Amino acid sequence: MKLLFNYLIFPGFLFSACAGLLAGWVDRKVTARLQWRVGPPWYQNFADVVKLFAKETILPEGAKATFLMSPYLGLLSASLVAMILGLSLQSATGFGGDLIVVLYLLVVPAIALIVGAASSGNPLASVGASREMKLVLGYELPFILAIICIIIKSGGSIALSSILNAQHIAGSYIASWSGVLAFIACILCMQAKLCLVPFDMSEAEQEIMGGALIEYSGLPLAIFKLTKAVLLYTVPLFLVVLFLGKDTSPIFLILKYIGILVVIILIKNTNPRLRIDQALRFFWGPVTVLALIAVVLALLGL
Amino acid sequence: MDLKTKALIKSLWVFHAATSPCNNCDIEVLDLLTPRHDVERFGIILVGSVRHADVLLVTGVPNYKTAERIKKLYEQAPKPCFVVAIGNCACGRIMFQDSYNSPCPVDEIIPVHLYVPGCPPKPEAMIAGVVKLLEKLSGK
Amino acid sequence: MEDVLGRIREKFYEQIIKYEEKSPRRVYIEFAPQNIPEAVKFLFRDLNLRFATATAIDTPLGIEILYHFSYDPKGQMVSLRTFITDKKHPQIESIAPIIKGAEWIEREMWEMLGINLIGHPNLKHLLLIDDWPEGKFPLRKEK
Repeated sequence: MKLLFNYLIFPGFLFSACAGLLAGWVDRKVTARLQWRVGPPWYQNFADVVKLFAKETILPEGAKATFLMSPYLGLLSASLVAMILGLSLQSATGFGGDLIVVLYLLVVPAIALIVGAASSGNPLASVGASREMKLVLGYELPFILAIICIIIKSGGSIALSSILNAQHIAGSYIASWSGVLAFIACILCMQAKLCLVPFDMSEAEQEIMGGALIEYSGLPLAIFKLTKAVLLYTVPLFLVVLFLGKDTSPIFLILKYIGILVVIILIKNTNPRLRIDQALRFFWGPVTVLALIAVVLALLGL
Repeated sequence: MDLKTKALIKSLWVFHAATSPCNNCDIEVLDLLTPRHDVERFGIILVGSVRHADVLLVTGVPNYKTAERIKKLYEQAPKPCFVVAIGNCACGRIMFQDSYNSPCPVDEIIPVHLYVPGCPPKPEAMIAGVVKLLEKLSGK
Repeated sequence: MEDVLGRIREKFYEQIIKYEEKSPRRVYIEFAPQNIPEAVKFLFRDLNLRFATATAIDTPLGIEILYHFSYDPKGQMVSLRTFITDKKHPQIESIAPIIKGAEWIEREMWEMLGINLIGHPNLKHLLLIDDWPEGKFPLRKEK
């Protein structure tokens, strides 16, 4: 019963969705301010989602059965990650290996997008799906390498609670050479995981008319937007747990989360969108090298 | 006014559907969506796919080819969807009434909810029109 | 930078009906319809002028077709003018085999004015719908 409460309300679906929608609003407001305009009010993202709930859902003729099912897949796994992270921060509950569980659960929203786009029956949606597939292949490699660096630094344990404990004792992992390099690699991979500029070439495109989400309308589209919001709350929190986990009282947690959000917004507003081959070359080139150097430095104990 | 209408008023997603205009109205529509007039504070965003749209901004005089396509576009947009006819040509084909290539005005093909006349209408006129549409929605 | 106008005048000395220079940069050269393909070949292939567009209009003297070529280094626009006097069955040889980019403008000339273009590879409707009534040419000025 308590688990259901944790999954659905706090710190699972409802709390992370609201926090993510508010964080999305902060992003839109700061972007508006940077462009010398006013920007939307605080309830804008909530109004968007409620409006999408009330629209009709159109099922295209060539759509397969997974068209309506795949959005829920993404939302369920994203809220599961939010629950695991929230519980491990709150009371150090968790189980051995929950780092690996979080890692593969974080891939599932991208897979849900790919499956949903591929079952749309629209050629532009399949272009978006292929771009998203290539992007996932690109950023998963340096992301996992950076996580390996963290695992090495915390003495080979793959439980979130022991990573947090090691940081309580020894200090945040970011305050070391290997930690900084791994953090930079993770920030870049996170930008691609959240489908934000400069890596949003798979969807939200004027070039391919909405890309992967072109045939979605109404309730499934609202579920995809909610998944994006939950990810916007969850993935930076994951980075805070891994790299900045020294002081996890709520005040410092919120400040660190806002710090990472500021970095995301800065990168988002100062860069144009990349092509998919440029993004692949970027992730398998400089970012992987950075993550490899971080792993080597962690092995040397720095 | 129930929650659905309230949410629809606060967040209108706009799709630009041009049926062979001279492109003056299109330039003014693009002007409307730039940071100077800032329609995002009303919740209005430009979307790429017609399935995400709440409002179809129709410009231009429909000719035989685009008449069938604008009808298909309107059917592809999920209801409730509002159609705004922007410019004199979309409102009533003023100069092109007797043209050899235009079968009928826009409102004989799809139902139009708001007319914004002008050649081309200023972005401020379009904003005033949108405000009237929102008032009509919230009043009904 | 060469004197394109001089070279055209020199090569087509007998065939030019009228040479009108509205300004140093805007020149209209009138040919007979049967001499147009040769003149276009010379302008496009030998002088390397850029084909800008072609325009056609129904005038009392006949259907007037203008082919506009641009000499970019000096900013000169050379237009080849020709009149088709037979308005019942107008025809002219198509320049689409010489200039591939002229295909679409010639299709528009056919569907709007009814000019029969001999040798055009793909004479279909461009702007009007495919089941437009036969023989009805919108831009003809018949009473």
